[in-house]
Amino acid sequence: MKLSTFSIILFLVGAFSAYGQKCDLSIRGKILHQENNDPIVGAYIWIVESATGAVSNENGNFEVKNLCAGTYTLTIQYLGHKEIRDSILLNSNNFNKTYRLEEESMDLGGVEIHGHRFDVQTTTSVSALYGEALLEARGENLGESLKRISGVTTFSTGNSISKPVIHGMHSNRIMILNNGIRLEGQQWGAEHAPEIDPFVADEITVIKGAETVRYGPEAMGGVILVNPAPLPTKKDPKTNLYLTGGTNGRMGNISISHANGSNKIKGLGYQVQASAKRAGNIKSPDYYQGNTGLSELNFSGSIGYSSSKLGIEGYYSYFNTTLGILRDSHTGNLDDLTSIIENGRPFSDPGFTYDIVNPKQVVSHHLGKIKSHYHLSDTWKLNFQYGFQANNRQEFDKRRGDLNERASLDLQLFTNTVDLFLDHNLKNEWSGSFGLNAIQQANSNIPGTGVTPLIPNYDMLNLGIYAIEKYSKGPLELEGGLRFDTRSVSTARYVGSELQEADLSYNNFSAFIGGLYQINPKITFNSNLGTAWRPPNVNELFSEGLHHGAAAVEIGDADLNSENSVKWVNALEYDGGRTHLEVTAYANHISDYIYLNPTGDTYVSLRGTFNVYEYLQANAFFYGLDFSGSYVFTERLSAYAKGSIIRAKNTDEGNYFPFIPSDRMDWGLAYQFGSLSNSKTNKLTLSNLLVAKQKREPDFDLAPAPPAYAIFNIAYQKQIALGEDKLNLGVQVQNLFNSSYKEYMNRFRYFTDDMGRNILLKINYQF
Amino acid sequence: MKQFKNLYVLSAILFSMVLISCESDDPVMENDEEVITDVTLRFTELDNSGATVGDPFEFLASDPQGIELGTPTIETVNLTKGKTYKLEILLYNSIADEDITEEVQEESDEHQFYFLGSAFVGSPILTYSYNDLNGEALGLVGEVIVAENPSFNNANMRIVLRHDLDKNFPGADNPNFENFVSAGGETDLDITFPLVVN
Repeated sequence: MKLSTFSIILFLVGAFSAYGQKCDLSIRGKILHQENNDPIVGAYIWIVESATGAVSNENGNFEVKNLCAGTYTLTIQYLGHKEIRDSILLNSNNFNKTYRLEEESMDLGGVEIHGHRFDVQTTTSVSALYGEALLEARGENLGESLKRISGVTTFSTGNSISKPVIHGMHSNRIMILNNGIRLEGQQWGAEHAPEIDPFVADEITVIKGAETVRYGPEAMGGVILVNPAPLPTKKDPKTNLYLTGGTNGRMGNISISHANGSNKIKGLGYQVQASAKRAGNIKSPDYYQGNTGLSELNFSGSIGYSSSKLGIEGYYSYFNTTLGILRDSHTGNLDDLTSIIENGRPFSDPGFTYDIVNPKQVVSHHLGKIKSHYHLSDTWKLNFQYGFQANNRQEFDKRRGDLNERASLDLQLFTNTVDLFLDHNLKNEWSGSFGLNAIQQANSNIPGTGVTPLIPNYDMLNLGIYAIEKYSKGPLELEGGLRFDTRSVSTARYVGSELQEADLSYNNFSAFIGGLYQINPKITFNSNLGTAWRPPNVNELFSEGLHHGAAAVEIGDADLNSENSVKWVNALEYDGGRTHLEVTAYANHISDYIYLNPTGDTYVSLRGTFNVYEYLQANAFFYGLDFSGSYVFTERLSAYAKGSIIRAKNTDEGNYFPFIPSDRMDWGLAYQFGSLSNSKTNKLTLSNLLVAKQKREPDFDLAPAPPAYAIFNIAYQKQIALGEDKLNLGVQVQNLFNSSYKEYMNRFRYFTDDMGRNILLKINYQF
Repeated sequence: MKQFKNLYVLSAILFSMVLISCESDDPVMENDEEVITDVTLRFTELDNSGATVGDPFEFLASDPQGIELGTPTIETVNLTKGKTYKLEILLYNSIADEDITEEVQEESDEHQFYFLGSAFVGSPILTYSYNDLNGEALGLVGEVIVAENPSFNNANMRIVLRHDLDKNFPGADNPNFENFVSAGGETDLDITFPLVVN
C-alpha cells in the first residue's frame, strides 16, 4: 500500500580518474529523521572534493559511485533540517553510514509529508488504510473498513457487529490501539464489536506480526493502530465534512472534524470531531432482517503543544452505540435453534423500521489520555503516556414485564494504562527504546439485572518492562526486543449463595527478532520472528451461563494456562514501475490455544434442551499467505488483486478450529477518466470478491459451512476542486446483482442470508 | 523474583503519582428473575353445564436450580376417560419467589401455550381448547376433554410456552399448532408430561 514515489539517483560528473588509482569505490549510506526514525526521501548528498552527489531514495538510502580512495567531505542537506558535514576516509568499498537529520525549527511547518510513512516503525509486515482507500471506506465500521487490507477479514454477528481478524485471530488475540492507548472493552465476546469510531482515524495501520514486546500481552495475531492526523502547530484552519447515505438499512452517517493552530502561541493546536450514524433494518435479497438497526453518536477532541524540546497532548473520545440484534437469532432452546437453521432464514419478515427493540446492546466507551515527550538531549527522548477508559456494556434480552426494561448483562470496566519509555537514536546506526508499562483494570457487574452474571467481578494488574533495539545500516535494518510481564487477577462472584473468590497470577517473557533488507531499489524483504503470550480471559476461566444465540451453556475452566505463541512472518515487496506486488507468508504455532469445544452433552430444563460447551486447550498451528498486487496497463487502466489463504489446525486432535476464514480473493479493474494531466481522481472501479467454501470444518458445527460465493461491486470516485476547497464524491454499489449468500465468518449465517444490494453515496468536503 | 522488586517499586510510585486507581465492586447476589422453576397443571372436573365438580388436583414439573444445574422432576398426569376438565397452568419462580402467571397474563398478546405430543394427535386422547379471559388464545386457562374410548392409555403431553410470537400468523390460534416456530418468537417453556388415562 506504499505510495510509489520513485527513487531517482542522480549521478553528476562521471569521469574523474586521477593518479592511475582504481576509482570504483562507493560511499553508501542511509538518511533518517532524528525525531522519528523515518527515512528521508530526497535529501541531497554532495561530495565536495569529487563534486558528485546523490539524492536519497524512498528508503532513505543513497550511493555515490566512482570514487577513488582518499579523504572526502560529505554534506547532507534537506529543507528545514540542519546540514550535516562529515569527513570520510574512503579506502575500501564497504563504506556505509547512517546519518540522522535534525529539524531546524518548528516554525517551518512542523510536520512535512515525506511520501507516506507508517505510524509505526517496525521490521514486521505492515499495511495501512489511508488517503483515497480510507475515503472509500468512510461510513463503514472498523471491521468492515479493515477488510480492504489483504490478510484481514472479519468475525461478525450480523451486519453491524464485526470484529477484525488478522491471520485467523481476533478478539483477545489481537490488539487495537485507539490513538496509542490499547482499547479495553469486553473484547472476549464474539458479538462485542470494538468500541471505536473509524472517523477519528486519519490512518488505520495493521501490523501483521506478533508485537507483544512493544505493546504488551495479547498482541498475538497482530495489532491495529487507529490514529488521528497529527495536530497542527500553527494557524491553518481545516474542516472536513463527511456525509454518507446507504439504501440498504436506509443508513445515514455524518461526521465533521475541525483542526486549527494558534499563531500567538507557537506549537499550539487542536482538533475536534463528531459523528452520528443511524440505520434501520437490513435487507437480505428476499426479506428484511428484523431488528437489525443501529444508532451511533461519537465525538473526540484533542489539544496539543509542541516546542523543540517538549511535546504535550491531551485527547478524549466518546463512543456510544445502540445495536439491534436480529430477533430470530435469540432462540429459546436447541429445538428453536434447529428449526431456524433448517428454515435457512428468519421466520419473521417485519419489513423496514428504524426502531430498535430487544434484544439489543447499548455500549458506551470513554477514553481520555495525556501524552508527553521531552527531549533530554539530541539523542534521548523521554515519553510518558497515561490513558483512562470507562466501558459500559448493556445487553437487553426479550424478557417478561418490567424485566424487559432491564439489561440482562450490565458490565462496567475501568482501565488505567501508564507508559513510560525512553527513545534513543544513537549516532548513527542504533536506535531503540526502553520502557515500563502498567495496566490496571476493574470490572464490575452492575447489580439489578435479575440474571446470574456470566463473568465475575475482577481486578487486574499487569506490569511490563521491555527493551527494543534497532540497527540500521544502508539497506539493512535489524531489530530485536525483549519483554517481561507479570499479571495478577483476583475475581469474586456468587455461586448460588456462596461467595467464590480466586487469585491468579501469570508471568511471561516474550521476545522478537526481525530484519528488513532492501535487495535492490525495487525489492524489499522483511522477516520477523516473535513470541507472544496471552493469559486466559476471565470468561474462559469462569463463564457459566446460557448463550441465547447458540442455545448453549458455556462452561469455563479456572485451571487454564496462558497461551504461548511463536509467529514467523515474511514479507516480500516488489515495486517496479507498472507492477506492485506484496506477498506475506506466516506460520504461527500456539501452545495451549484456548477454544470452546462442544462436549456432546446437553442440559435439560423446563425451558428445553441446551448444548454444553467447555473451554479446552490444545496446540494449534496457523499458517498462510496474503498477497496484494496491482498492474498498470495504460495510464488510464489498471488492475488489482488481493487475497488470503489461512490454514489452522488443532495439532493434538488433528482436526480444525471453527470460524477460520476461508480462502478469498478480491480483484478489480479501475479506469481513470479525464485528461492525463489532471491528477485529480475521476475513477471507476469494478471489483469482484470471490470467497471459497470453508472445507476445513470443525468436527461439530450447528450447521455446515455455507457454499462459496461471488459478489460484484462498482465504485466511482471523483475529486472536484472548488478554489482552495476540495470536494470528493463517491458512489458505490455493493452486491451489484443482489445475490443471496452466507459468509462462514458471520455467526448469523445460521439464521439469515447476508446483506443484499446496497447503493451508497459518499460526499466529503474539505475546506 | 528479586530482580523485579525495583520494577514493582517504580510502578508503585508511578501509580501513586497518576492513577485514579479503580477497584471492582463487591459482587452482589443476583436472583434469576426470568426463570420459571415450577409449572403446575391444575385440573378441575367440569359437569355438562360447565360448572366445576369436586376439588381441583395438580401435577407439578419443577427445576429448582434453573437451567444450568440438575434435571427437572416431572409428575405423571392422571386423568379419567370421558371426563371434561378445566386446565389452569400456574407458573412460579422459586428462586426469586415470584408468581409468573400474572406476568404472562399481563402480556397475553406476547405469549401463548401450545399443546402437543401424542396425546393430541391422530384420534386424540385429549382435546384442548383455550378458555382464557376475554376469549384470547393464551392457554393459562383452557378446557380438556378426555376421549371416551381412547385406543391407548399412555401418551405424552408436551406443553410449549412461546414468547414474542406473531399471534396473527395463519394457524397460530390452533392450540395444537405443530409448526409454532414459524410464527416467530422463542420458547420459554418446553415440558413433556407423561399422561395416563384410566
